[in-house]
Order: sequence, then C-alpha cells, then structure tokens
Amino acid sequence: MTKLFDLVRNELAKIYVLKSTWVMYLFLVALVIFSLIMNTVTDSVDSETTYTDDWETELQEENQTLMEEIETEGEDDPFIESTNMTLIEENTYHLENDIRPYGYNAGTFVLDNLFTTSLVSLFAIIIAGGIVANEFRWGTIKQLLIRPISRSTILLSKYIAVLLFTLLTLLFLIATSVIVGLIAYGLPAINPEIIVNRPEGMASNGMLSEIFMQYGFKVLNIIVLATFGFMISSIFRSSALAIGLSMFLMFVGTTAAQALAQYAWSKYILFANTDLSVYFTPYGPIREEMTVGFSVGVIAVYMVIFIIASWAVFTKRDVA
Amino acid sequence: MSDATMKVIDLHKDIGRKQIIRNLNFEIHPGEVFGFIGPNGAGKTTTIRMMVGLIGITKGDVVIKGHSIKKEYRKAISEVGAIVENPEMYPFMTGWQNLKHFARMSNGITDERIREVIKLVGLDKAIGTKVGKYSLGMRQRLGIAQALLHSPSVLILDEPTNGLDPAGIREIRRYIRRLAVEENVSVIVSSHLLSEIELMCDRIGIIKNGKLIATNDLNEENDTDTAIVNLDVNPKEEAIKVLRTMPNIEVLETVDRLQVQLKRDDIPHLVTTMVHRDIEVYGVNVTQTTLEDRFLEMIGENVID
Ligand SMILES: Nc1ncnc2c1ncn2[C@@H]1O[C@H](COP(=O)(O)OP(=O)(O)OP(=O)(O)O)[C@@H](O)[C@H]1O
Ligand SMILES: [Mg+2]
Repeated sequence: MTKLFDLVRNELAKIYVLKSTWVMYLFLVALVIFSLIMNTVTDSVDSETTYTDDWETELQEENQTLMEEIETEGEDDPFIESTNMTLIEENTYHLENDIRPYGYNAGTFVLDNLFTTSLVSLFAIIIAGGIVANEFRWGTIKQLLIRPISRSTILLSKYIAVLLFTLLTLLFLIATSVIVGLIAYGLPAINPEIIVNRPEGMASNGMLSEIFMQYGFKVLNIIVLATFGFMISSIFRSSALAIGLSMFLMFVGTTAAQALAQYAWSKYILFANTDLSVYFTPYGPIREEMTVGFSVGVIAVYMVIFIIASWAVFTKRDVA
Repeated sequence: MSDATMKVIDLHKDIGRKQIIRNLNFEIHPGEVFGFIGPNGAGKTTTIRMMVGLIGITKGDVVIKGHSIKKEYRKAISEVGAIVENPEMYPFMTGWQNLKHFARMSNGITDERIREVIKLVGLDKAIGTKVGKYSLGMRQRLGIAQALLHSPSVLILDEPTNGLDPAGIREIRRYIRRLAVEENVSVIVSSHLLSEIELMCDRIGIIKNGKLIATNDLNEENDTDTAIVNLDVNPKEEAIKVLRTMPNIEVLETVDRLQVQLKRDDIPHLVTTMVHRDIEVYGVNVTQTTLEDRFLEMIGENVID
C-alpha cells in the first residue's frame, strides 16, 4: 500500500512537472475571468439588485414593475412576457415560502460557471489519454515495468493519478470561481437558500448543496470520459487516438443519444446516462422510463468494462 | 564454483509462427561478466526481454537467485537491474528527478544511495540538468545509474557501448569490472561488436538465429591457444628455411613481414632455435588470434579462403 502511494506520487509528479499542465491551469483562470467580463459587458445578469431586511416589500414592488413592463412593452418584445413571468414566479416563491433573496453573488457566479467544467473534461481527457500511451512513446515503459511491482499496481496508480488530477483541477476551477466571484460580487450570506427548477416545479436548496450537486454531476461525466480515454490509451498505446476518440464522444455522445431516443435500446447508450443532472431539471432523461438508479447502473457497467479491458490488455501483453 | 545467480533454462520464444529464440541454456555466476554476442536480429534483445519479464516466455524459464521470473516475478526482478535496448528516461525531468522516480519504485533506496550511484557513473555535474539535454553517453550513464540503484545481483545491459566514443567505452568497462570484482555483481552485456566488450567479459556466449552456438571462457584460453607471431629477423631467407623445417609451425606470410602461427607454448623454443642457427633476432611480436576473427568465423559472415 505504501508502494501505491509512492507510485501515485510519481505519476502526479510526471503530470505536474510539465509546463503544459500549468498552461491548462492558466486557461481555467482565463475562462473564469472571461465569464466575469461577459457578465459585465453583456448585462446578462442583474448584479445591481440587492435586498434589505425589508425584502418582502421590495419583492412585491419588483413584481409590480415587472407586470407593468409586460403591459407597456409586451407588444414590441414578445420575450419580455416569458422572462418577466419567470422572475415573478421566483419572487412569489420567495414570498410564499419565506425565503430571503440575496441578489447576484459569488455563489450564483460559481453556479453560472458550471459550463467552465468542459475545459476540465478536455484536460482530464488529455491526461488520461496520455498517461499510459506516453510511456510507450517515450520508451520509458520498459524501465517502469522492470520493478518489483505488478503491472496491475502500476496501472492502478496511473488510474488513481487521473482521478486525482481531475478532482484537483476541478477544485482549482471552483476555487478560482469563488475568489473571482467574491471580489466581483461579494457574498451576503454563507449558505443562502436559493430557488431551483426541478422536474416537479420550483423548489429551494442550500447554495452549497446545489453547487456540490451540480459540480458533482459534472465530475461524474468527466470521470466517465477520462476512464474511456484511459482504456483506449492502455489498449492502443496511442494518446492521439485516445484523446481524439474521447473528445469526439464528449462532443457528440449526448447529441447522438438524443437523436436515437425514439428507440428503446437507446437508453443503454452510455451517453444517454452520464449526465445525471437531467433528473433534477424539468427536461428529464431522453426516455421516460429511465431513472437515476438505472443510469447509475448503466454507468457502473460501462466503467467496469472499461477498467477490465484496460487491465487485461496492459497486464498480459508483451512489451516490445 | 558458487551457485549461479541466473540460470537460463531451455528458453524458447515464438512470435506468431516465427521461432525467435530456441533452446537457450546458460548460467551466470556471481562476479562474472558474461558477454552476449550476436549479429543484428540474432535475438539478444528478445532474450533480455524475457529475462526481465517484459515479454512472455513460450517455453523454458529464467531463474534469478532461485526465483523463477515466470512464477515469482517480483522476487526475481528485485534482484535485477537492466537497460533494455536504449537507456530511455523522462526527457522533461532532470537526472536526479528520474533517479528519484525509479528509486521510489523499489524498497529502501536512500538519497545517499542515489548520490553514491551518481558518483559511480560520474554524472555529478549533470544531475540537475534535464535529461532531454543529455548526450547519448550521458543517458547511457544515467541508465546504468538507474539499474544500479537497488544494488541488484544481476545487471543486464543491452548494448551499453552503443553510441559511446572509445573513452566512454573504456569508462563503462572500468565500472563494469569494478562492480563484478568489488561487489560480486553478475553482469550480462550484449553487443553485436565483440571487440567492444571483449575486454570486459570473463565469458562470452554467441547467439545466432536465436540459438546459442558457442560459449567461450576468455580467461582460460590464453595459454592453450595458438598465437600468431611477427618475427623481425636477419637474414630473413635463412630464417624462413629454418622455420619450414620445424614441426607445428605454419608460415603465414613472408613478403611484407615474416608471420608464423604456432602454439603459444612453442614460442621460447622457436627463439632458441633461431639463436642457435645464428639468426639475429630483433623482435618477436606475439599477436593473439583475435576472438573477433573466430567470432566471425563462427557466425559465418567472414569466410577466409
Ligand atoms: N514483435 C516482434 N514480432 C516479430 N518478430 C520480432 C519481434 N520482435 C523481434 N522480432 C524478431 O526477432 C529477431 C530477434 O530480434 P532481437 O531484437 O532480439 O535481435 P537483437 O539480437 O537484439 O538484434 P540487434 O543487434 O539488432 O539489437 C529478429 O529477427 C526480429 O525481427
Ligand atoms: Mg537488440
């Protein structure tokens, strides 16, 4: 076991000694700042409105203004009605359930930045696709294998390193979002209740728990892709193939599954299941009969297959 | 003789339908340097890969310090240090980081041991430099350092002289001899050039087309063997006449220089005979039949007619 720790440490050292890895982290910072700039220049979020202890009156006044807006401008701008109605519904939910609103803040910024995790997917795929194949490309695989350590343990240490890299990178991204968000928007309360859209309608959830949940779903998605890349890397010893195929699946997997939704068997496609967040939005899964438990099961089966395939090939094959 | 450190027993390797290695048998003893010689494609690297478990063994076994590489891989391999084919290291890490990396993969290698090995191979100055900037010779040295970290009983070096200049070869020869003599390490060095490793080996095995066609003890053969002698004598014609009358001597050349072949033991007799016949002897220059010549004869690439 202590050996496994040393091995994982070796693998992480080989990842983080590379400048290209640090460039990835720079990209993440840049993306978060880009998100902030977009927020500011496009007015896509309302970061001005704040609420005082008298928030109930303020919300009622706001609803009135929104209604008036629909009446006066609704004719020219058909979108105003739907946008404002959503806001009114939210405000009403706050009022009816006695949940104090806080306006745009660091937490909201972090949730809005969920899209930045695609970059983490990309980086996780690059690392997972290279971690075995690169040893073959560098020729170092021979030196790596002629040690008093079984091939299974070496492969395991590499897989753990991929998982750790993914988690560390995601934590770094979240931390960056939090810091940038704090500087730009501040944090009026540590863990405010926020309004969320669920399949059964509006509901509330703690900010931290919502962040944890949303990023958790993303991480699961990323790990599935990375495991796939890891398998291709171990079997074909080509990082280009591994990275290319995984990225292809990342971009078209979900869309393809949706396109095939009319067929009952489409629910067994991996990418029809990897995004568990669909079960917590009004959109729902691609087929009605699918449940969270079903998707978790499908993901587990695929992961086991990927891992066994990597292991079988890596431990058995001649290394020439 | 003490127990063999490594036994290669009836080793076979097939790749597809091709028989790459057939019926290989040999042993290496503590403190012995074994030269594994063969032309390109003879199967040296393939044999070494089987010895270190990189590829499967079709039939037979390699036993290292009593442990089968097939059945007790981890025990067997912990006695082995090796460079297979090229000394490939991580180019983006320094020499030190590379050694540290491999040190973590074995048990109980201290930083002190790492420094000791660095000193042995003479890499002190370059150890903080990225390996990507190393010359081939420096990488060879780092490869050897990496193989020695865990003080193995068997050191396997596949073509360690590859790409080295004569000074580099001489240096490698020095530390290989030192390891064998001082630390009782068994060393296997492969090469397709006999002359490059001849001087560091105690014994050689010649492999051709996947078969061991001869093994040869370099220490024993010196006295029994035939020698080729260049004679500087006056008058030359008289000497040739005398030589032709002597048994067991073959005159090889008379034009440019006078060269004869005879048993090494007969050399003193040859000199006294010359002196008795009043032939002035200015020089007797003994050249051994080189191993290289016989090696080429054996592998049949250089036919002398
Ligand atoms: N993976 C493989 N598939 C098929 N044939 C192979 C494979 N690996 C090696 N061989 C064949 O095995 C034979 C021995 O190769 P090997 O590399 O062991 O030779 P070598 O003695 O090390 O030669 P060199 O001096 O060139 O390094 C060669 O004929 C080679 O073509
Ligand atoms: Mg070779």
